[in-house]
Amino acid sequence: MVRAGLSTRGAIERGPRPYAAAVPPASVVAASALAILPIVAPLGWFPDFGFIMLVAWRLLRSDVWPAWWGAPLGFANDLLTGGPIGLSVALWTAAMLALDLSDRRTMWRDYWVEWALAVVLIAVSEWAHWRIDALMGARMDPWSLVPRVIIAALCFPFAAWLVARLDRWRLGR
Amino acid sequence: MAPSLGARPGWSRRAQYSLFFSFLLAIVGLVIGLIMLTLSLVAPASYSAVRGAALDVTAPITGALGEVVTTVQGLGSGAGNYWDAARQNGKLKAERTKMLRRMIEAKAIAQENRQLKAALQLRERSERAVASGRIVGSSFESARRFAVLSVGSSDGVRIGMPVRAPDGLIGRVVDAGRLASRVLLISDRSNIVPVRMLRTGMAVISTGRGDGTVDLRPLEVGRNPFRRGDIVVTSGTGGLYPPLVPVARVVRLDDDGAIAIPLADPSDTSFAVVEAPYEEAAIEAAQEPR
Repeated sequence: MVRAGLSTRGAIERGPRPYAAAVPPASVVAASALAILPIVAPLGWFPDFGFIMLVAWRLLRSDVWPAWWGAPLGFANDLLTGGPIGLSVALWTAAMLALDLSDRRTMWRDYWVEWALAVVLIAVSEWAHWRIDALMGARMDPWSLVPRVIIAALCFPFAAWLVARLDRWRLGR
Repeated sequence: MAPSLGARPGWSRRAQYSLFFSFLLAIVGLVIGLIMLTLSLVAPASYSAVRGAALDVTAPITGALGEVVTTVQGLGSGAGNYWDAARQNGKLKAERTKMLRRMIEAKAIAQENRQLKAALQLRERSERAVASGRIVGSSFESARRFAVLSVGSSDGVRIGMPVRAPDGLIGRVVDAGRLASRVLLISDRSNIVPVRMLRTGMAVISTGRGDGTVDLRPLEVGRNPFRRGDIVVTSGTGGLYPPLVPVARVVRLDDDGAIAIPLADPSDTSFAVVEAPYEEAAIEAAQEPR
């Protein structure tokens, strides 16, 4: 940010906030905790906020957390959303591993590649939720996945913007 | 943007080892997650304590936020009610006289019913309410349909108990914390309720569709018995739900069944009542995987 040099805050006191490393996981748990809002909806069409936030952080920075942090964060998500316990643990860790692998494969990254990666992960996650729901006796029409994936995919740019703002704030840039 | 250099941390042995062990740890996390998932599929009861505890932490927050929302909405609708009070007043008075007439008829029918039952020496099971609470939240992030109820095991709520509102059936309890419980709504795909048509008394199976409506199928194959506006009530078969609780109203017919809207709308219900299971044996049957 070039204009940062023109701001009144001097270069000396600029630097990471205290607990800057805790901001990304805290924001993911906060996104999962949106599930406790007092919304009584006849139809569950809201996206999985925690997962979108997790993927957005991981796509922004590869060093934001080690891959295994997907497991405890997923456990918190399972408890907060009331989903089958273990589903997010496995899914989120697998997503972190998949992004680690894709980091080695992709030659270059831009916004569209990141969005495409996020949409693929979201689609796989929604499919896994659908499959587990079917195993638990609630088999939905497979076409019901399409609007869910589209809504979550359209939410991702907002999450990416929010994460970029949070990242700049926590690093004091 | 350049590719991130996370995969190869340089020549430092320490950094390489820490990367390798975090990779191993992630694999371990994945395996643990899969084991937990398998356990929650085959033995959901094993998590009842931890799920209940999570509900106890989150549901009071949901309830408090819900109070704020209700207050704000109440200010809006309260002002709206004052706006055309005179017209509403006239309409309500007309409705009231109509209702009074209907109520007297209903009382007479109830009395006759009691006499007939006494004549048949039917043993009346008392439907006792265990607790009543508010519906404070729902699973709006998931395709499953759950609601969070503000009463828990400290009020006597146990897993498997039926939940109803004054308007009709809501569902049954699947997770019970000390202060709150989670209810599987009748509109969830996995919730199957034995019902019968109020008009003809025909036995029907109601299955949730996951979108706030239920699917009705008659037990006997034949001509489609439904008409638009038909009401179905619980039949009491299976012993979990008490009989004669209103369930849903038919809104659309399809080739051999019908689609109906539940009469009790969870988002519009001020109070939900948890009742003891109609027959105690049914509570064990309700513990099976949902």
